[in-house]
Amino acid sequence: MTQPASRTAVTKKFQLSIDAWAVIVALVAALLIRTGIISRVPW
Amino acid sequence: MAETLILPQAPTVSLPTKLLRLIPGVALLALIGYAGKLLEKNINGYTKANHWTFPNIEYVLWAILIGLAISNIFGLAEIFKPGVATYEFWLKAGIVLLGSRFLLGDVWKLGGVSILLVGIEIVGAIAFMTLLGRWFGLRPKLTTLLAVGSAVCGVSAIIATKGAIDADDEDSSFAIAAILALGAIALFTFPLIGHYIHLSDHAYGVWAGLAVDNTAEATAAGALYSDPAAKLAVLTKTTRNALIGFVVLAYAIYWASKGQAQVVGNKAAFLWQKFPKFVLGFLLISALATAGFFTKDQNTSLANLSRWAFLLTFAGVGLRTNFREMRKQGLRPFAVGFIGEVVIAVFTLGLVIGAGKLFGF
Repeated sequence: MTQPASRTAVTKKFQLSIDAWAVIVALVAALLIRTGIISRVPW
Repeated sequence: MAETLILPQAPTVSLPTKLLRLIPGVALLALIGYAGKLLEKNINGYTKANHWTFPNIEYVLWAILIGLAISNIFGLAEIFKPGVATYEFWLKAGIVLLGSRFLLGDVWKLGGVSILLVGIEIVGAIAFMTLLGRWFGLRPKLTTLLAVGSAVCGVSAIIATKGAIDADDEDSSFAIAAILALGAIALFTFPLIGHYIHLSDHAYGVWAGLAVDNTAEATAAGALYSDPAAKLAVLTKTTRNALIGFVVLAYAIYWASKGQAQVVGNKAAFLWQKFPKFVLGFLLISALATAGFFTKDQNTSLANLSRWAFLLTFAGVGLRTNFREMRKQGLRPFAVGFIGEVVIAVFTLGLVIGAGKLFGF
């Protein structure tokens, strides 16, 4: 049986953009290097 | 009693599944990038040891060439596609980390000159591409997308503008294919032209940042020239990216005034939504480095990490460039883009040489 549509629930999931993820990951990496957890990144 | 209508929803994929799907493609990016690095080291070592005259081909070019060969000869298997698409993530993370190599004072100084040049480039490029689109009889919204793509920042700008002006999928596919094909051409021609006319690292970097459309290609075109040129190309390109919101907003208002796009309500919110957030990350890391937050060794580690991130990006640039797919999109948008890009490249080269004489670089 079809239910009458008197109210539509729209849930919008909060999602971070690629930009935001890139900034977060880069800052975490910088913090790990600053605190010495990552002591050296060779090239 | 109020009842809820249950709409059919696309099946949701959990985060661990999404991450697992990325692994094959990211591994492929890493493998190609590392192969490029090994090839540079071994071939250069071998040719030097045997006293051969052989051009010094950098890891950047090897990574792009290997990616191009895989994509165009064998094609990219579905399993790799989600991971390969992360090349943009690595690019942006690499740019944020590259902030450690800039003192904030330099950013303001170089950024100030860049903003001036970028402003002139954007206005000139949009005006010329609009005229060219009319001469070639392209659809107006396709012309808008090509103008934004070549004036501001390639694919990201086209995608941002597509939503804002309600352009159709076909137009954006045309524009993206044209911009990507032209980016691939620029990647190989810019370093050759730069060397041929003996441009300094500084002038070349600013030129690549001004004239090459996609951030990944601009970074690669800079890195193919030299490390200092890559830094300048990224800084200039980032300045261009930072202005994306203003250009998209102007076009959204223009098309809304013609009744062919939705009216923009809150303009400040619109600008913030379109603003590339990685620019803020770049400035933050640069400010921290300027304030002495990192030691010299830590700065070197951050710069190296940035190079690793770019290595994955360059592999991705090669892998996602498929000439067969681009050819399917037709010749006219490509012709408009090509003529436009050549004119913009010559125009920006003149700008850079003029600014070099004026500001001393």
